[in-house]
Amino acid sequence: MFLPLSVLTEQQPRPGHLFPTELGWHVLVANGSRLYRVTEDFRDAWQEASNEKLREALLAEAGIGSITEERLLESPPPAVRALSLAVAQKCNLGCTYCYAEQGDFGRAPKNMPLEHALRAVDLLFLNIQPGESLSLSFLGGEPLLNRPVLQAAARHASGWALRTNAKLSLSVTTNGTLVVPEDGDFFEEHGFAVTVSLDGAGEAHDRQRPFRGGEGSYSRIVQRIEPLLRQQRRMQVSARMTVTPDSVQGVKESVDSLIALGFHTVGLSPMLSSPAGHGEMDPEALARLLGEMKECGRAFEAAVIRGTRYPFLNVMNAMKEIHRGTHRPHPCGAGGSYLGVSAEGKLFACHRFVDDPSAGFGSLESGVDTAQQQRWLRERHVEQQSPCKTCWARYLCGGGCHHEVIRRGRPSCDYIRGWLEYCLSAYVRIKTFQPGYFGATN
Amino acid sequence: MPNLTLDPTNLTAQFEHRGRGNPPSVLPLSAISNCFPGLEFDFRNVWRRVLEGIVLHEAVGVVMDVDPGVPANITELRGAFLVSVDGDPTIGDVQGPRTTGGAVESLGQDFLEWSNALARILTHAGEEVRCEFQTQQNTTITRMLKVRRFFHADELTNNRTAAIGKDLATPGELTQSLCSPWQNDYRECGCYYWAASRPDYVNVETAGGVTSGHNWMARDRSAAAPRAYTLNNSLLFTYDELFQNWETLLKFQIDGRDET
Repeated sequence: MFLPLSVLTEQQPRPGHLFPTELGWHVLVANGSRLYRVTEDFRDAWQEASNEKLREALLAEAGIGSITEERLLESPPPAVRALSLAVAQKCNLGCTYCYAEQGDFGRAPKNMPLEHALRAVDLLFLNIQPGESLSLSFLGGEPLLNRPVLQAAARHASGWALRTNAKLSLSVTTNGTLVVPEDGDFFEEHGFAVTVSLDGAGEAHDRQRPFRGGEGSYSRIVQRIEPLLRQQRRMQVSARMTVTPDSVQGVKESVDSLIALGFHTVGLSPMLSSPAGHGEMDPEALARLLGEMKECGRAFEAAVIRGTRYPFLNVMNAMKEIHRGTHRPHPCGAGGSYLGVSAEGKLFACHRFVDDPSAGFGSLESGVDTAQQQRWLRERHVEQQSPCKTCWARYLCGGGCHHEVIRRGRPSCDYIRGWLEYCLSAYVRIKTFQPGYFGATN
Repeated sequence: MPNLTLDPTNLTAQFEHRGRGNPPSVLPLSAISNCFPGLEFDFRNVWRRVLEGIVLHEAVGVVMDVDPGVPANITELRGAFLVSVDGDPTIGDVQGPRTTGGAVESLGQDFLEWSNALARILTHAGEEVRCEFQTQQNTTITRMLKVRRFFHADELTNNRTAAIGKDLATPGELTQSLCSPWQNDYRECGCYYWAASRPDYVNVETAGGVTSGHNWMARDRSAAAPRAYTLNNSLLFTYDELFQNWETLLKFQIDGRDET
């Protein structure tokens, strides 16, 4: 029988992933992100299976079939329920790796006019139903360079939410250098999630996030953020670290320091794609980062067992998603229910794609380009991506940040799988020894 | 034969777990979601083995059977009625009017539903409670019986799970005493009770905002039959007709109309 070579060489989709824990062998079934403890017989049969079809058959024999149809999205695109507003496409810092190319996305610096911001909020609430959740975030550049428009838009949205009985989440991502005490009052009043970009404590941060003149920004940021850290009740003030090969050593220490400062959570992301290639992580740096993150993860586990807090956001999110069995065909809502609005009132796949015509989704004036939404969601579906469609982690990962993947490809798959495998085993430990962490549903 | 039993750990796994040999309808995605007395399982059955040593009827307080190997003083409970547990009677006085507008009076004694009568004793799981039985000869027997745990506890960690305890039901017991919809219960239960699997108002036409059509149970649903939803028993199939011939009398509905 003739078989085309592609059939013989093409990898088969992995139906799941078998891994050991101190509490026995487990299997994650990719479809539906279902996690099972397995018997030794099952483990042996899985390991002895010479191909993925046999493993699929083994799962079927154990009563585990497919629970979702993996067809591509042909249904109407979702309503936009999350928007980010690039209220200021400019910045007072000169971070070398910035996706927004020091805030202006490579074009003339500009502020978003009030009219655009209000109109964007109206778009967000279009055809809203009572009880629906939506999210409005302010990014840039540095959004506090256009404080009046940020505040007016947030008030406009709060008014909408009150009238329509919708659940509104407001958030802002800031470099922290321009925060004044009144900002704290405003964010507290409106229950903002405030994310401060901090790449570590002290020098580690200053190397990556200097002012445009070159001097360090860390001490100024901490001085300005400290009052907010004390003030947070309704608002939550979190830190977000971008990790480069230069800062990967000592990530655990940095996370510890930021947690000690009193941030609600501390999360991190590796720098995978920067406009000029500065600071991009290579496989070696990613492997080191994985080691540091596992250390943070173990500190989190110890805290959970003790009943204390070690709010390392990456592991907290992973625990939530593994527990629920999050099954994501896309890495995020970008280009679907989430869009980014540029200062000029144009719509893009997300805040990172601002002013990138290849990821345009219409404008405030013309409305959302639903054909583009549909096309984007279909093309970006994890089953359409390579090598994602054969990877066991495809429905936990979703294929990786669109912006990074389109610009640089997928250099971090081993790192993502390594992190997920650690998180899966951490989940099994926490579920066993501190099931209360997952609430009444455990 | 290798043991391939998988232990569902996270919520999607627990939610989508289908025990070996169980039909697709046990999953929430494909369930009809009616469990009293039930199309997927009959919740009353979880109480039958709640007291160690005896097996109760799912609805009436009679001891149907005893566990193998129990001593003679438990074996003799077979056929007896369980009338009180831990001081609470399992039989209650039913009160109400005999006719519309009539005086509220005693309508007699009846067994309480187990979910009402026995829920409290679950706080005594693992302990013995005092159980009173009345024999067929009207003598009273008192025995101390141990209360089983309601939720399955993980062997490794002793954490309670959301699963019903394995000792409470042997395989197949939870799906005993189910409805027999096609033969019986479709006729028994009224309008709008059934889920999508049971057509109700069929051959419907809409004109001027008003609908007209047939009751699925109507004997004559032909084009010539008056288009009215009848509940007149003489115009509906009888139980006997359904028992004998349900598969030809009740048609599948294609696009809201009887298949032809």
